[in-house]
Amino acid sequence: MSVFSRRTVVYMILVAVLVLMLSPFGWLAITALKDASELRALPIHWWPHEPTLGNFEQALTLFDYLGYARNSLTIATLYAVLVTLASAWAGYGFARLEAPGKKAVFGVLLSTMMLPGVITLIPTYLMFAKLHLVNTYMPWVLWGLSGAPYLIFLFRQFFTNMPKELEEAAIVDGCGQVRIFWRIFLPQSWPVMATSFILSFSWTWGDYIAPALLLDDARTTLAVKLAIGYTNEHGAQLSNLVAAGAVMYVVPVLVLFLIMQRGFISGISTSGLK
Amino acid sequence: MSTGQLIDQTAGPGAATPSARRPAGPTRRPTSLRTRRAWSFYVFTGPWVLGFLVLTVFPLAYALWLSFTNADGLSDNARFVGLDNYREVLSDPATLDSLWRTGVFTAITVPLTIAAGLLLAVLVNQPIRARGLFRTLLYLPAVVPPVGGALTFKLIFDRDSGAANGALDAAGINGITWLVDPYARYVLIALTLWGVGNGMIISLAGLQDVPRELNEAARVDGASPWQSFTRITLPLLSPVIFFQVITGIIGSLQTFMPLLIALNPTPAGVTSVPESNYFYMIHVFAQYFANGRYGYASALLWVLFAIICVVTFLIFKLSKGAVFYSVEPEPTKRKARTIGGGR
Repeated sequence: MSVFSRRTVVYMILVAVLVLMLSPFGWLAITALKDASELRALPIHWWPHEPTLGNFEQALTLFDYLGYARNSLTIATLYAVLVTLASAWAGYGFARLEAPGKKAVFGVLLSTMMLPGVITLIPTYLMFAKLHLVNTYMPWVLWGLSGAPYLIFLFRQFFTNMPKELEEAAIVDGCGQVRIFWRIFLPQSWPVMATSFILSFSWTWGDYIAPALLLDDARTTLAVKLAIGYTNEHGAQLSNLVAAGAVMYVVPVLVLFLIMQRGFISGISTSGLK
Repeated sequence: MSTGQLIDQTAGPGAATPSARRPAGPTRRPTSLRTRRAWSFYVFTGPWVLGFLVLTVFPLAYALWLSFTNADGLSDNARFVGLDNYREVLSDPATLDSLWRTGVFTAITVPLTIAAGLLLAVLVNQPIRARGLFRTLLYLPAVVPPVGGALTFKLIFDRDSGAANGALDAAGINGITWLVDPYARYVLIALTLWGVGNGMIISLAGLQDVPRELNEAARVDGASPWQSFTRITLPLLSPVIFFQVITGIIGSLQTFMPLLIALNPTPAGVTSVPESNYFYMIHVFAQYFANGRYGYASALLWVLFAIICVVTFLIFKLSKGAVFYSVEPEPTKRKARTIGGGR
């Protein structure tokens, strides 16, 4: 054996990788704390000599930051609520009901999980443009109402494993399937609902391409505005404001993740194993 | 006598009972339980099917129709041009170059991220202290939304104020203008690798499903750790790796990330994407939103769609026999998997 134990080597690699992986966050924070003159300093300051929070204030006011954040929040919440309920609804059907053609429909569902999403988005945009639904939040309502294959699959897995007696008792009492779903199955599935809500909320909050295509500058989301909003009158990027704006955009997502890790991770790892 | 008791006596609820045999109660319609369950199935899955048809199938068909025309998105007199657009796809050097670039990028980043993710997963699966913390923090960059990551890397690789040139400067090397040719491609690869946590979590989930006894038995029989990893762990992980290969390739071939680290990150700003990052999807955006060539762009989309289908099919075919699905417990019956460090 070498001088170092195996465990020490593992630690050393992990710490090195961790430092590398977290350093972009560090640089983002450092840049956000520099004023314009310090940003231009050569050689660069690795640490702000006169840290300032002024960038955050400017980042909020150079454009209507909170207004765009509200747009993002509205779209993300709207979509996340609808897609969670719609996916639970469809997931129940795939898990608990039998009908001719079920196998085929389920096969289509599974294969759509692999459908290249960006490719279908541009024609969808063209369609919405023809229907005059561009610049409204209707696309997200429609996407939400039809459910997402991956979330439907999550709910289906959960509902499949619920005991049959639950349903039988309800049928004996004369409950219809809708009532059984709504009163018995849906309330039981709150962990999946939470996972589904968080995942779909953060997809939409982070999504760039759909709002960039579907919404104009006034109605678009923070993700889109952030990418183009911080320039001076000559079109040059105001890096310290970009940093401050990005910090305020990213931190809520990271906090949400840290609070709800369990749901995040179980959702993501299940997707890898069918 | 209630209907409930009636059903109970005949066949038990939930079982398919032919309606002829079941005495119909006064309040019941003469439909069987099976028929009603079937109707319920269509009611429950209908919205998704409808959404799929309207929001996916129809747009794709619409693009297919456009691809045979010279539509420009403005005038209404689009003319049918047959296969002209497809002929142009195959002869346009800009298209072929962008496809080649995208392919090279995919061939580099997909294996790299999977291998690195697997390595990290193995490391954070060791019985070490604070491994839950390591898992969480290593995964953190994968949670960052694309725009957040792109902006961060643009700042790091800024010519004047970025950390990358700061480090080069400290080492006595002249700074590099990173975000233009030919260096922009390295920034893009670095940004892609930053999301390695995703692969790590998926591989970790797979590792936790490998029965411990198998590796222990192998070690007792005198296998080295490396042998037990390559002969037992890796084959059992093959479905998980296979999944990552498929989704990785599909995602990578249609990536528009170059746009986000370009000077003007808008759909119409494709002209600001440096040539080394001018990927296929960027080319598609350029045709749609900069040149207004809807017909040609739709043909490009369908060609990419076909390429992705063929590649996916080939990988499925080629991996037959290399992917083991034998030890696959039911997903939800597995122990709750958290990165919180539970053992």
